[in-house]
Amino acid sequence: MSLSSRMILVLTAVGLITGGFLAGVAKLTKERITLNIQAEIERAIKAVVDEAEVSKVLYRGEGLVIYREMDAKGQIAGFAVQATGIGFQDKITLMFGLNETLTKITGLTIIEQKETPGLGAKIMDWETFLQFWKNRDATGELSLRKPPVRTPDELLSTEINTITAATISSKKVLALVNLSLQKVRELIKDKMITIEGDDGH
Amino acid sequence: MMATKSIRAEFLKGLWDENPVFRQLLGMCPTLAVTGTVITGLAMGLATTFVLILSSLVVSSIKKLIPPQVRIASYIVVIASFVTIADQFLKAYFYPLSKALGPYVPLIVVNCIILGRQEAFASRNSVGRSFIDALGMSTGFILALLMLGTIREILGAGTFLGYRVMGTWFKPWIIMILPAGAFITLGTLLGIAIAIERKAKRR
Repeated sequence: MSLSSRMILVLTAVGLITGGFLAGVAKLTKERITLNIQAEIERAIKAVVDEAEVSKVLYRGEGLVIYREMDAKGQIAGFAVQATGIGFQDKITLMFGLNETLTKITGLTIIEQKETPGLGAKIMDWETFLQFWKNRDATGELSLRKPPVRTPDELLSTEINTITAATISSKKVLALVNLSLQKVRELIKDKMITIEGDDGH
Repeated sequence: MMATKSIRAEFLKGLWDENPVFRQLLGMCPTLAVTGTVITGLAMGLATTFVLILSSLVVSSIKKLIPPQVRIASYIVVIASFVTIADQFLKAYFYPLSKALGPYVPLIVVNCIILGRQEAFASRNSVGRSFIDALGMSTGFILALLMLGTIREILGAGTFLGYRVMGTWFKPWIIMILPAGAFITLGTLLGIAIAIERKAKRR
């Protein structure tokens, strides 16, 4: 056998064997990986919408997913908005909740971030950042409160606390939420989603 | 002709004489990037161990079948396959850890320790010796990552494996969990390693 034929044969064989092996591994792990991602989203939804029991995707677009949440009695418990945007260093994926009339933000949680450890990564901290997202006004644009305050009571309903030494990360989260809220309003206006009806797109 | 080392020496060389991090300065990317905490360093070390040992076993088994002209391409395909398996396994069974390690698990493919051992050792030695070599190198790599992770987590967060070990008086040195802290720690440990080596040579 010539050298060229042997090289082609060996590389093809290595490719086929490893490819087949990987296909098997992917098949074995696929379901579990999907469940992990699903569980993470469910945890995030429950963290931002009280009494959320049953989720339905109302809209799925680039960097934005809107869920309608029903409680155990079948009533609308609120809405959860999953948004992805660019942070200080890399992508930030977050989830925030809205009440049933879309007028208040009920909470916010971070699903994924790679901000600076010890500084921007404090967007994950309840004490420093997340607690200040409860009961925010969702009818207009939210703004950052600087210098930061100690308790949520010191903020206006349209304000969000800034993280000391991580203003950019705070701003990025705020911008992502403001943009998502604007998109939600546009989708409702364009009748792409309906908050009380059964179906969305 | 190259003298054959004993099995014990083959294993031990990875721990000190040819330690991939402190003596060969290989695998610097994960060494610096994922040692902010002990657990991420350990997970990276174990994932690399899995890939290194299995790649060495496969490469040493099929070395005579592979034409020299396509050996690197073949090794990379084998290594990439084991890396993909490690990545899928972490995503399926250790999802939070997989997220913490981010892109650094797939990047094991280009870790010079792995390809280096295939080229320098597994492709020229028996399956048994290649296994011992890979085990020694992996253990040396894990120990190095654990040392960096321990120092950086304790000084950077005041914790070890997530448990607080420093008193409330301790103010974490944020720099230690930032990239600069990785370079400072690695540089200090390399300096210590060189000093120990010089002292040993003088004796």
